[in-house]
Amino acid sequence: MTGRNLKGISKYKKIYAAVISIFVFLCIWQLAVMFTDVGIVMVGPIEVIKLFFVSMVKPIGHDTIQMHIVWSLSRVMTGFVIGSALGVVLGILMGWFRPMNALFRPIYEIIRPIPPIAWIPLSIVWFGIGEPSKYFIIFLAAFSAITMNAFAGVRAVDPELIGAARMLGANNRQVFTTIVLPSCVPHIFAGLQIAIGSSWATVVAAEMVRASQGVGWVIIRGQDSNSTVQIMVGIVAVGIVGFALAVLMRWIEAKLCAWNVRGR
Amino acid sequence: MSKEMIICDNVSKTFETSRGDVNVIGNVSLTVNENELLVLFGPGQCGKSTLLNCMSGLERVTTGSVTINGRTIDSPGPDRGVVYQRTALFPWLTVMGNVEYGPKVRGMSKSERREKAQYYINLVGLEGFENSYPNQLSGGMQQRVGIARAYCNEPDVLFMDEPFGHLDAQTRYLMQEDLIKIWEKEKRTVVFVTNNIEEAVYLADRIAVLTNCPTTVKTEYEINLPRPRDYIDPEFLRLREEISSVVDKAL
Ligand SMILES: Nc1ncnc2c1ncn2[C@@H]1O[C@H](COP(=O)(O)OP(=O)(O)OP(=O)(O)O)[C@@H](O)[C@H]1O
Ligand SMILES: [Mg+2]
Repeated sequence: MTGRNLKGISKYKKIYAAVISIFVFLCIWQLAVMFTDVGIVMVGPIEVIKLFFVSMVKPIGHDTIQMHIVWSLSRVMTGFVIGSALGVVLGILMGWFRPMNALFRPIYEIIRPIPPIAWIPLSIVWFGIGEPSKYFIIFLAAFSAITMNAFAGVRAVDPELIGAARMLGANNRQVFTTIVLPSCVPHIFAGLQIAIGSSWATVVAAEMVRASQGVGWVIIRGQDSNSTVQIMVGIVAVGIVGFALAVLMRWIEAKLCAWNVRGR
Repeated sequence: MSKEMIICDNVSKTFETSRGDVNVIGNVSLTVNENELLVLFGPGQCGKSTLLNCMSGLERVTTGSVTINGRTIDSPGPDRGVVYQRTALFPWLTVMGNVEYGPKVRGMSKSERREKAQYYINLVGLEGFENSYPNQLSGGMQQRVGIARAYCNEPDVLFMDEPFGHLDAQTRYLMQEDLIKIWEKEKRTVVFVTNNIEEAVYLADRIAVLTNCPTTVKTEYEINLPRPRDYIDPEFLRLREEISSVVDKAL
């Protein structure tokens, strides 16, 4: 009981601390812009926040800021879901079946260190300038993080648990479905956490190269029209959404992995 | 005349490692009678777990053979139950999920296995904790789950590898007492490994004293004290002294 209460208090304290630290940061920023030379190259937070809210009703380009976010998110989700699904499957197969590892590992090891954005020119050649080329790049971003983690998860399965399952009568298939799969779930979540972050970063980069909407486009459009405040609005949107995605992933993990210390 | 349940016939075990062969079990011949509680008692690192794993089928013997109920053992199987030192519970399953795991993978219907699992959960005193996860339980309670899980397959024999080794002294006494109660209610052939002499004398029908690695059976003691046993009974203390003086010092 007491433990629970203490936890509750510290959680609220954390939120207070976060609100205060952000508020102080914004104040210093605003004062610096108003009273020092910083004002020459930067706009203040009040102006940024004002434009952020204005752009929720008055479009930047063709879309309001929330529609730009929706555009970017839909790209991320498409690439992320496909990349994660394939990554989980490939990682687990490589982890559990030695021949799969021997076959795919070398190719994977060569592709893995290439940053996803390095593929942008090629993907435009292959998939055109439309949506598919962006899905492809985000797919790559999600895929490599997930594959590695799913693979590591399978390799980290406690052999004693496998022995215990066999002793209780489980056959090979049952060992795989009831022991190997559940015990790599926490590793997969760690991978999803990294993947969602790098997917989000990658979509912004992809949109800055070639797009006509999305938060990356908002930033690059701001640069083209010499509008620092619009650049800042784009950056703020990237930050808020990136943070929200990470929180959402952690929340899902806590729900699904209540049994795991990570999830507690 | 009781039936011979487990027969180890000239068992040896050598591990092949990158630094050469390691002979862990020298030569062990041992029989365990039906419904007997045999304690394997030996110093740390002498090969107790290895011998137990050879008997349960988790490890293959190098030479010799192990037969249980007339069948030669060469792989794990549900006619044997194991309780592990580090519990080896499935952390993603609840108490109920862990206990019903054996019957479930062997295809028993849900209502039947739930009933059986509930019986053994109650037997080990965990009624009310069916939906808890292992990490929400104390060490003693986790080992109770391990005992219920092993029992729930209704195996012929139970192997226990220092199941109380990680528990604090108070909990350990309680678990020893409860293990005997459970065993007297549901008699099975039990092989129990320990390096704690008090635990050995408290639990055993018979104690096999093992030597240091490569291990062999040094000598055996029948313990005919009535149960429940008293840790400070003079005869208890005498046996304790005598057996302690025989066992090798840990390496
Ligand atoms: N798979 C293995 N490969 C190589 N050597 C092993 C292996 N398993 C055990 N050994 C060696 O065998 C010896 C005995 O190990 P074992 O775990 O059976 O002893 P133990 O008596 O159970 O020890 P403890 O008291 O710590 O439980 C150890 O020295 C260990 O290094
Ligand atoms: Mg051991």
